[in-house]
Amino acid sequence: MINIISNVLRFLILIIIQIAVCQQINLFGYITPSIYLLALLLLPLELPLSVQYIIGFISGLLVDAFAHTLGVCSFAATLMMFARPYIANFLNGSSENNYEAIDRPIPGVKDFRWIFFYTLALVSFYEISSTLLETMTFKNFGHTFLVILGNTIFTVFVILCTEYIFHPIVKNES
Amino acid sequence: MNNLIEFFKKAFHIIILAVLLILSIVMLGTSLSFNEYRLARFVQSIVGPIQKNGADMIHRFKLGPENESLVQQNIALMRKLDNMYLSKYDTTYSEALDSLHINQTRMFDIKHAHIIFRTTDRSFNYMIIDKGADEGINRDMAVLSPKGVAGVVTDVSKNFATVRPILHPESRISAVVLPAKQNGTVIWGENDPRVAYLEDIPQHSEINIGDSVFTNGYSNIFPANLLIGTVKEVQIGSNASFLTIKINLATQYSDIYTVYLIENIYKSEIDTLKANFKND
Repeated sequence: MINIISNVLRFLILIIIQIAVCQQINLFGYITPSIYLLALLLLPLELPLSVQYIIGFISGLLVDAFAHTLGVCSFAATLMMFARPYIANFLNGSSENNYEAIDRPIPGVKDFRWIFFYTLALVSFYEISSTLLETMTFKNFGHTFLVILGNTIFTVFVILCTEYIFHPIVKNES
Repeated sequence: MNNLIEFFKKAFHIIILAVLLILSIVMLGTSLSFNEYRLARFVQSIVGPIQKNGADMIHRFKLGPENESLVQQNIALMRKLDNMYLSKYDTTYSEALDSLHINQTRMFDIKHAHIIFRTTDRSFNYMIIDKGADEGINRDMAVLSPKGVAGVVTDVSKNFATVRPILHPESRISAVVLPAKQNGTVIWGENDPRVAYLEDIPQHSEINIGDSVFTNGYSNIFPANLLIGTVKEVQIGSNASFLTIKINLATQYSDIYTVYLIENIYKSEIDTLKANFKND
């Protein structure tokens, strides 16, 4: 029960931050962090897959409504939710879908390398699909690639910072 | 049949995924084509009010730079006014000459400054502005608020300057009241920052409440046609030949921040002539 409330709260807060703050950021003119992906990354993996897809779709739709890009973020977020279990399995080194409640990118539960690659893979997946869908062309691909790269790096940076701020590593004295 | 149900159970999440992705693509397609803009308009009708509030809030933080650019635009427009020029010959060829900028000699130049200190409740009021001799501020420059005449620069230091507003017993501004076209002098009578007196208007002139009082351009400080205030009250004074006229000042001294400073380019030349006249 607490789990559900904390997930919903996190989801709402991050969506509001995304709409109110992050959409206003235009670093160098084209870099916009997508911090609301953190809410999707932290969802429990043992949720039914269809529910995960629907949550991803709704969060993308909310962001889309305020960014005037109907369909772009919802498509990319749904696709990212589809890729998420495979990435987690790959990083765990198992091929079966046997998730534990512990499989979450939280410092202290997983080491930095696991968290970093999990975040990087999913965020880059999201950014590639959303940016390509938004531009709808391979013309001027250099610029598109720069946008993808900048967005991915900045988003990963922001997400990792947020995670480590709210889940500080407790040092073992022993 | 059982197989089919089994298949749906297994593939349920795939179906959901496909439906959601197709829905996204359809939304993207409708928002791209102008014929089927209905969905985008519906979404906009929901998020629009929220976004407007947010934009208003963010706009508040950007008011400073916007004000600066508006001040620059005002200065550019005020520099083009007729009363900023020495002469405009009314000849047959004036239009052609206007287009060539031949018969226009600039007499007044404009700068702007901000008030950093002011008093309005004393009997000797003054204001201090944030520009001084380094920015080209001189004594006896005219000071305008956005609404009308504010005062005269009386003292200049390196980075600051003192302004004597109309709210000062020594302040005298020669003025003309329209439409009666009678010249007079505006002085500050009462200790009220909203009210001043217009003197030297002959008793026979027809002054109505609400008539506008402008500078007449006879002094070499103020250009002509700048609003000073509007007539509030007309009384027949104790001195039988003149009217006592109360005017509402156009400038509201309690809330001015940006002021425009008007410099007479030929002031020293005119002053020399005046001094020579006195010596003779």
